[in-house]
Amino acid sequence: MDTTAASTAMMESVEALVAHIQGLSGSPEELAHLHSLLKQADGESLRANSAAFVPFLAQLQPETHSLGYLYLLEAFATSAANLRDVGGADFLVTIAGFLTACSADQIRMAPEKFLNVCRVLKDQVMQLNMPIRGIVPLWAAVRKIQTSPEQLTPVHADYLLLCLLAKQYKAGLSVLEDDIFEVDQPKDLFLYCYYGGMIYIGMKKFPKALELLHNAVTAPMSQLNAIAVESYKKYILVSLIQNGQVPSFPKYTSSTAQRNLKMQAHVSFTIYYPELEKFILSNAAEFRSDNNFGLVKQVLSSMYKQNIQRLTQTYLTLSLEDIATSAQIDTVREAEMHVLGMIEDGEIHATINQKDGMVSFHEDPEQYKSVEMVEHIDSSIQRLTALSKKLASIDENMSCDPAYLLKTGRDRGRFDYDDFDPVPPHKYF
Amino acid sequence: MDVSAVQAALADKSYSAVAPLCDDLLLQGAARGVSTDDWPYAVHLLAHLYLNDLNSARFLWKSLPQQVKDARPELSAVWRIGQCLWNRDYAGVYTAAQGFEWGPELADFVTAFLESYRKRIFQLLTSAYSTITVADVAHFMGMSEEDATNYAVGNDWSLDAATKMLTVRKPKAQTNQKLDASKLQRLTECVFHLEN
Repeated sequence: MDTTAASTAMMESVEALVAHIQGLSGSPEELAHLHSLLKQADGESLRANSAAFVPFLAQLQPETHSLGYLYLLEAFATSAANLRDVGGADFLVTIAGFLTACSADQIRMAPEKFLNVCRVLKDQVMQLNMPIRGIVPLWAAVRKIQTSPEQLTPVHADYLLLCLLAKQYKAGLSVLEDDIFEVDQPKDLFLYCYYGGMIYIGMKKFPKALELLHNAVTAPMSQLNAIAVESYKKYILVSLIQNGQVPSFPKYTSSTAQRNLKMQAHVSFTIYYPELEKFILSNAAEFRSDNNFGLVKQVLSSMYKQNIQRLTQTYLTLSLEDIATSAQIDTVREAEMHVLGMIEDGEIHATINQKDGMVSFHEDPEQYKSVEMVEHIDSSIQRLTALSKKLASIDENMSCDPAYLLKTGRDRGRFDYDDFDPVPPHKYF
Repeated sequence: MDVSAVQAALADKSYSAVAPLCDDLLLQGAARGVSTDDWPYAVHLLAHLYLNDLNSARFLWKSLPQQVKDARPELSAVWRIGQCLWNRDYAGVYTAAQGFEWGPELADFVTAFLESYRKRIFQLLTSAYSTITVADVAHFMGMSEEDATNYAVGNDWSLDAATKMLTVRKPKAQTNQKLDASKLQRLTECVFHLEN
C-alpha cells in the first residue's frame, strides 16, 4: 500500500469514527460504547493523522458530541506541529468555545484528556501573551470538571495564574470563595494557595491572603518546595502589614518547613523592625528580585497605622499633637489625615474634635443585635457545624484505614487497660 | 465589540451596574477573540471609581497598553481622578473631575460620580468629626465656604459664626431589629446544645 492509499484508508476510518460519534452521543449506554470505540481508535495512528482533524471537528457539536469532540480535539491540540500550523489565535476560539459549551457529564468520562486540552489553552494564551483570552473558558472548565465545588482541580491554579497575568483580580475571587476539602495533587494545592494569596493581596484583603499563604506554608511536605518558600516570604510581609508581627509556626507544620523555611526567606526582617526604613533601603535589590518590593513598601506605610492602633488601646482621648509625636508623624495635619483615613477604612473607631485638637477613641459600635449580625452569626455556626461533621467523617475514615491501623497498632500495646473499662470515670462522682 | 448593553445602562442611569457589566463583556469578548480597540475604557474605569473599587480601577489601568493610554486624553483624565482617590487627595478629586471637558458619553456619568462621592465624603465627615472648621468642610466637599456652610447647616449641623467652627450632628443609626423567630430559635438551640 502506498502512502496516499494509507492516508485515504485512515481518513475513511476517521470518517467512520465521526459517524459513530454523531450516532452514539445520546444515552449513557451509547456513550459507554462510544468511549470504548474511542479508546480503541486512540493511539499512534489517530495521532499521526491528527493534522487533518479540523474539518471533522466542524461536523460535530461541542454541546452534544462532547466526548468524541474531546478525543479529536485533544489528539489535534497536543501536537505542537498542529498548533504551529493553525497559527494559534483562531484555534483558541475553537478550544474556548468547546470548554464553555461541552457537556460536563460527557467530558468527565475522560478527565485526563480534558485537563490536557485546558493545559494547551493556558500554554497558548501565555505564548501569545494574551492571558485575558483564557479566563472565561478556564472558569467554565473548572466548573465542568469539578464533581463538587469542594474539589480542587489542576485547572484552578492555571485559572488564577491567568487572572494574575491579565490583572483580572476580581475574576479570580470567584473560585477562591469556595471552601476546598478535596485535593488530589499536593502541587495543585500549593499553587492554588500561592496564586490565591497573591489575588487577595492585590485586592488588599489581607486576612484572606494570610489564610491561603498560611495553608501553603503549613501543608504537609516531606521535601522543601519553591512554592512554599515564596509563599512564606509573602506570608511574613502580609503578617507584618496586617498584625505588625509574624506568628511562630503552629504545631502541625511539617518539620521540613519548620527546619528550613526560616533559612530560605529573609526572616532577619522581624529583628530589624524598629530600623525598618534603613533595612528596606539596604536590601531593596533583593526584595525587587523577589517581586516583593511593593509589599515591603506597604509594610513601611502600615507602621503608622499600627502605631495609631496601639494608641487606641491605651487612651480614650489624645491630642493630635501627641498622636503625631508617638506615631512619628511629622505634622499635626498629617496625623489628622492618617486618623481620618483609618476611620474611612473602618480600622479604628474615633472622632476628631478640631476645636480642641483632640481625638476620642471609641469601642466598636457593633452591638450584635441587628438582623444582619444574627444572620452572620447563624451562617458562621452552620459553616462550623458542617466543617466539624466533615472532620469527624474524615477521622472515622482514617481510623478504618487498614494501612493506618497497621502502623498505629504496632506502636500500641494490644490490650490496653482503657479498652476494657466499660464505665466512663465521671459516673463515679 | 458590541457595547450596546453598556450604553443602555448609561442611558438608564444604572451607574452601579456598569462595572460588572463591562467586566463581563470584556472577558467574554476576549475569549471569542474579538478586538478590544474600540472598548470604552474611560467608561469602564469610571464605573470602578463610581463603586469606589479602587483596586479594580488600578488593575484595569495597569493592564492597558501604553499606546491606548497615550491616544485617549479622556481616559487619562479619568485616571487622574483615580489617582487622587488612591492618594486620598480629597480636594484633588473635584479639581480633576471638573478640570476636563468631558465628552457627551461621560459628562453625566462624571456628574453622577461626583454627587455620590460628595455624599460619601459628607458621611465620612459626619462619622469622623465632632467639630470641624468651615474651611475644612469646603476643602473636603469641593465647595465654596458659603455653599459648604449651607450644606452642613441643611443637614442639622450647627455653626459658631465667630470661630467659623461647625458642630457635627450625628444621625441615629437606623438598624433593622426585627428578628426572624426561627433564627432566634436556632441560635437558642445551638447555645443550649453547647452548654449541656
